[in-house]
Amino acid sequence: MSKVATVIRAGLRANFGLAVLKHRLFKEKKDRWLVALFGLAAIGVLPTLYGVVLLIKAGYLMLQPMGQERALLSLGLLAGQLLILLFGLYYVISAFYFSRDLETLIPLPLRPYEVMLSKFAIITINEYLTVAAIVLPVVITFGIMAKGGLGFWVNAVLVYAALPVIPLAVVSVLVVAMMRFINVSRKKDILILVGSIVLIVASLALQVGLGRSRGPQDPAAVTAFFTSPDSLLNTVGSRFPPSIWATKAIAGGFSAEGLANLALLLGVSLVFFAGMIVLAERLFYRGLVGLAETTGKRRRLTRDEMSRRVSSGRRAVAAVFGREWKIMNRTPIFLLNGILVVIFFPALFVLMATMDPGRGGSGGGGDTMFLLKVMTSANPLVVILAAALFMTICGSLSGTSSSTFSREGAQFWISRVIPVAPREQAAAKFLHSYLVAMLGVVTASVVGALVLHLKPAQLAAAAGLALAAGVLLTAVGMIIDLARPLLDWTNPQKAIKQNLNVLLALLADVGIMTAFFFGVRALVRAKLAANVVLGVVFVSLAALAALSYRILLRFADKRYPEIE
Amino acid sequence: MIELTDVSKSYNRGKVKAVDGLTLTVKPGEIFGFLGPNGAGKTTTIKMLVGLLRPDAGRIVVEGFDVAKDPLKAKQATTYVPDFPAIYERLTGLEYLNFIGDVYGVPKAERLERIGKWLEIFELASVVTNPIQSYSHGMKQKIVLTAALLPGPRVMVLDEPLVGLDPRAAHQLKEMFREHCDQGKTLFFSTHIMEVAEKLCDRIGIIHKGRLVACGTMEELRTLDKTESSLEGIFLELTDK
Repeated sequence: MSKVATVIRAGLRANFGLAVLKHRLFKEKKDRWLVALFGLAAIGVLPTLYGVVLLIKAGYLMLQPMGQERALLSLGLLAGQLLILLFGLYYVISAFYFSRDLETLIPLPLRPYEVMLSKFAIITINEYLTVAAIVLPVVITFGIMAKGGLGFWVNAVLVYAALPVIPLAVVSVLVVAMMRFINVSRKKDILILVGSIVLIVASLALQVGLGRSRGPQDPAAVTAFFTSPDSLLNTVGSRFPPSIWATKAIAGGFSAEGLANLALLLGVSLVFFAGMIVLAERLFYRGLVGLAETTGKRRRLTRDEMSRRVSSGRRAVAAVFGREWKIMNRTPIFLLNGILVVIFFPALFVLMATMDPGRGGSGGGGDTMFLLKVMTSANPLVVILAAALFMTICGSLSGTSSSTFSREGAQFWISRVIPVAPREQAAAKFLHSYLVAMLGVVTASVVGALVLHLKPAQLAAAAGLALAAGVLLTAVGMIIDLARPLLDWTNPQKAIKQNLNVLLALLADVGIMTAFFFGVRALVRAKLAANVVLGVVFVSLAALAALSYRILLRFADKRYPEIE
Repeated sequence: MIELTDVSKSYNRGKVKAVDGLTLTVKPGEIFGFLGPNGAGKTTTIKMLVGLLRPDAGRIVVEGFDVAKDPLKAKQATTYVPDFPAIYERLTGLEYLNFIGDVYGVPKAERLERIGKWLEIFELASVVTNPIQSYSHGMKQKIVLTAALLPGPRVMVLDEPLVGLDPRAAHQLKEMFREHCDQGKTLFFSTHIMEVAEKLCDRIGIIHKGRLVACGTMEELRTLDKTESSLEGIFLELTDK
């Protein structure tokens, strides 16, 4: 057992960079500003958290008289488990099969399950952190509102600890079996890409399915439905029974119902976990060995072919842009989190809006659609600004700009030694990131035109604003990444999905958009004409865009030589 | 030509002195071998030479250009081969060579000629359109070397360039070293292989604990050692402190 513990400890330390962080914070005394920044970010998140808590409280007070309050807890736990399932696939594939330390671990005298356990532990801890934002506010608010006793809190801790086990074990078993029995290991890029898309589509389908099972429609049945205690809980949880057990275990505390459900949840989790271990011991290495092999055809180019394929000389900016474009598109994790996100997000929006059956029959589309239609027939200023905001969000959601330097990783030395000025390299990277943002703006514009039926003039005005905002947000994202690029990753996932810079840039984007919101509100309250407001917004966005771009180029000249 | 004047670099806020007051000149047409035990400061010196690290003190001049004040001109004259071939795995070998050719502004005719020549020598011609991630360690090292040779640089800086190469490629690389310097160009490389340094280098520098403890031709180094033995003996004698 101690061997397993050692491997897990080493894996955790390596993955979360604890030793490096300790060294940087206490020995080199670098990065101390990060601690302050985290403090600030935590304070910044407090108002949002407060809002969420208020919302949960309101939900509780609404459901409690009908005896349905437990559905709230179930919804939180279910959402957490779905999130684990969704992120789990990425985490499992990349940790089990594509992390580079496997080459060190496999030759060690360890059993396959021990290696897999060390990876599983890392993923589980990642998942605790991922779902904390969703599950903890619900459980804690519920506990306070329901005046939960010791049983509630003890069970809550145990349930939280067990929460990722079943979904992760399911994903792990699926992935391990797939890697063993389907000969896809040589096509690992395609595996990640197809697997992720399938999972996104599946979770969408699940959401639509959940949306459709909202319970009975005629008034008598509705009354009966709500008078039966926990009927809503059972409906919500019916898609994934462990969320019902988890809810009953927490809410029931030390009562017979609570303990029985806790035992059920822990027992089933243990069975799934054990099943995974047994499978790991038999199949894990068989799917893993040979994975690093990549084959390529051997073919000599003719003189003519070589002459055609050898470039006759592009400008340095074009060469760097070409490199960015190719590497981004050929690395599945980068492609998924960059280009596909900006296409998926508007598509997701359309699906959610049109498939919501809440007000079925109103020409397709439900509550969301209804709200949007009301909104788009309202004040034209609001329409343009809201559309611009939507386009901006679609364009800037991907972590392309805020991971642009980090993505170079161990290859950053090449950018440092080539005779191309840092500002030119930054300009090429900006063009690439901005192109991805523009793709989001274009997709969002298509949604605006086809689904929301916005007028061409409104679309053009909104797109103009979004394109200017895109310059600003792209430059800000790049500046944030350049300030502290994450270059020492071994798994591309870390460069974009687990990169703090992406999160910081997202916070900065929210801050900028909020500032603009208050600015516009002040202008509207000052009773300025709509055109004037739009003009002011556009001019200030354009000015900030130009300024941020200049700052980015200057910062690149300063920062490139400093990065060691 | 490479000139280092009183160059120092320390880590950990001055606690670890990696390079300490290094002064060194490598003349045009010279193959300079840089030796030293692990952690002596070889890679730090090389990284400062190519602009990957900034010295705390001192001045580095490459082909008349100060690396700190005129970095682009210094870089234009230099190519670098690191000790580990970390390159863009998602590009094909030819795409990587094209990228290097573009950023160094190599004319097409020269590209075709040099790429053709080095791909043949390094036996990469049949795999050059494959992604670099499908290459073995040695093949990656060869593509990095080809890329470093492509601009026809005045100065080449190589960190352990022979590691990972098969004997044939190593032999050809050594021939290239000589050819390069016979054209009046400069070559600076670090190595742990004493025989290579002894046979190939015009001059040798030995660095130990960040300080240059010996520098000169083989003949000059032999005078430093009482037994006038091989380079290995001299190295062991000078670094056994």
